[in-house]
Amino acid sequence: METRGVRVRHALIVVWLLAMIIFVYIPSVCITLASLTSSRYFTFPIPKWGLDWWQKTLSSIEIHQILETSIMIAAVVTVIAVVLAFFGALAFARYDWKGRSIYQKLVLLPIFFPQSVLGLALLLWFNALGLQLSWQTAVFAHLVWIVPVVTLVIAIQVYSFDPALEEAAFDLGATRLQVLREVTIPVLMPGIFSGSLFAFLLSWGNFPLSLFTTGADTTVPEYLYAKMVAGYTPGVPVLGTIATIGAIVFLIGGYLVMLALNRRRSAA
Amino acid sequence: MAAGDGAILLLKGLTKIFAGHRAVDAIDLQIREGEMFTIVGPSGSGKTTLLRMLAGMETPTSGDIILRGQRINDIPANRRPTCMVFQSLALFPHKDVGDNIEFSLKIRGVPKAERKQRALELMRLLRLPDHYYDRAVTRISGGERQRVALARALAFDPEILFFDEPLSALDYKLRKTLEKELKDIHRETKKTFVYITHSLEEAMVMSDRIGVMRDGRLVQIGTPQEIYTEPNSKFVSEFVGDVNVLSVSVLPSGKLKAAQIPHEMVAPATMNGVKSAGFLVVRPEFLRFLDAPGDADNHVVGRLYNEYALGSRIQYQVRVGELVFVLEKLRHEAFAGGLDQEVLIGWDAVNTIVVPDR
Repeated sequence: METRGVRVRHALIVVWLLAMIIFVYIPSVCITLASLTSSRYFTFPIPKWGLDWWQKTLSSIEIHQILETSIMIAAVVTVIAVVLAFFGALAFARYDWKGRSIYQKLVLLPIFFPQSVLGLALLLWFNALGLQLSWQTAVFAHLVWIVPVVTLVIAIQVYSFDPALEEAAFDLGATRLQVLREVTIPVLMPGIFSGSLFAFLLSWGNFPLSLFTTGADTTVPEYLYAKMVAGYTPGVPVLGTIATIGAIVFLIGGYLVMLALNRRRSAA
Repeated sequence: MAAGDGAILLLKGLTKIFAGHRAVDAIDLQIREGEMFTIVGPSGSGKTTLLRMLAGMETPTSGDIILRGQRINDIPANRRPTCMVFQSLALFPHKDVGDNIEFSLKIRGVPKAERKQRALELMRLLRLPDHYYDRAVTRISGGERQRVALARALAFDPEILFFDEPLSALDYKLRKTLEKELKDIHRETKKTFVYITHSLEEAMVMSDRIGVMRDGRLVQIGTPQEIYTEPNSKFVSEFVGDVNVLSVSVLPSGKLKAAQIPHEMVAPATMNGVKSAGFLVVRPEFLRFLDAPGDADNHVVGRLYNEYALGSRIQYQVRVGELVFVLEKLRHEAFAGGLDQEVLIGWDAVNTIVVPDR
């Protein structure tokens, strides 16, 4: 009886795994396959394999410009979001203060707004303020959505943080600033680090907010969309693959850094 | 003793009110230079709040905290010459053993070499091996973490060390060892220790004096001996282990009468001001099995209900109607009778006291 139960469980695990691969990972691989064609058009099966479009894409000044814009936005968003979210998370999870429960709800609300509506609203707002749209306004738009996410990520770490650590440091003579530098930031570092990964990747992949707020500047997702609508070349899947690989490399790099930090922390 | 004489810390009407609740209620207390003073009370008695005020982590609602003649109410924890060992120990998880111990020295800007030397001295004092200096605090045992926390507090060289139940998370055997170690460290360092715990047993082992706290007030202050043998209330008497507490009324003759005991009982000398009704306290080691009613001042007939082995001692439960008495005897003096047998037990008045219902 038991062996049958085990077999059923195994079968279900296999089915689940296959479904994951078919629905989630195969499509991503298709993008890469589509980028490896030598022909001008998107046909399957691929008539002639080649790296021609990779060459063209990598040497295109336009693509460089677009990658630069995306990286710039993501980097600036990461720095600002982590700083804001760090203090926001302390207010969210560490301290008990009047109005905290309202703050907790307000700060998370933007996550649930439809992003396209948020983008449109911000576009109107920037116009009303008379601001020229550019990558800077896009940074602001991304922050509106990403700061809450990063706040949540860091807050989870803060919840497992023993407030007595700060009290102990303070009791041992440290000033508030020294407590922050010597205890709070280092202890929350894993949360801050994963928060910054989230910030970068969410900004890197964001389309709806960028669409409304970048003005003349173009990010990678915007470019992909524009080229799909009009003027498809296999350069589109090339850039798509680059964007995906970039995210994967970033994640793995982050994971390795985290691993190294943990190892240093628990070194004998 | 004149006011403040020999006192390092003086509390005057110290009160803390949280949302209308008097967590700490008008405490007056003198803590003497170099003593180990333990505040003991059940959870919710206000002992942690009291300690946090002394350490500077809570602000008193009213009253004064006076350290060596200077009022320190408004001085924050980081500028008070006192230091606390926390219940969670609050060791910095990202720092090694050495860096934890040296923390206060680093804050003061002491050079690294000097810091390390001091840390190693303290580690030796607390019997931590030298090579633990570079070990992560997450990779040492509970007892070792305890010692690191104590070393970190001692490195600060505080005038008073506060302890917030640091042993409560440890298993029984380790706790017993560390209680004694802590008392030894107190002897070695000659510092003033103020300790809080919910275990009067723990307080007894370590303390020079004990203050028993209930509902924000100190109900009795005394040496372990005084707290044990001369509790001033039912609450304090019941706080240490098993004890027989009998509701009694005082007869005009001066004798005592309890509902379920047919005989009038000889009253003890210590009545704690009880005039008409109170509680008679008989420790289990002072109750004994009698051969004849005349063998003790007071006696009662009961039924031996059960016996429990407590290691070196054996505890007996004797039921008299609805009353339950507990007796204890050393193992080698064990009672020969069997369960459910009728037994005669008794005690001498000199070994008992009467306390009011407080």
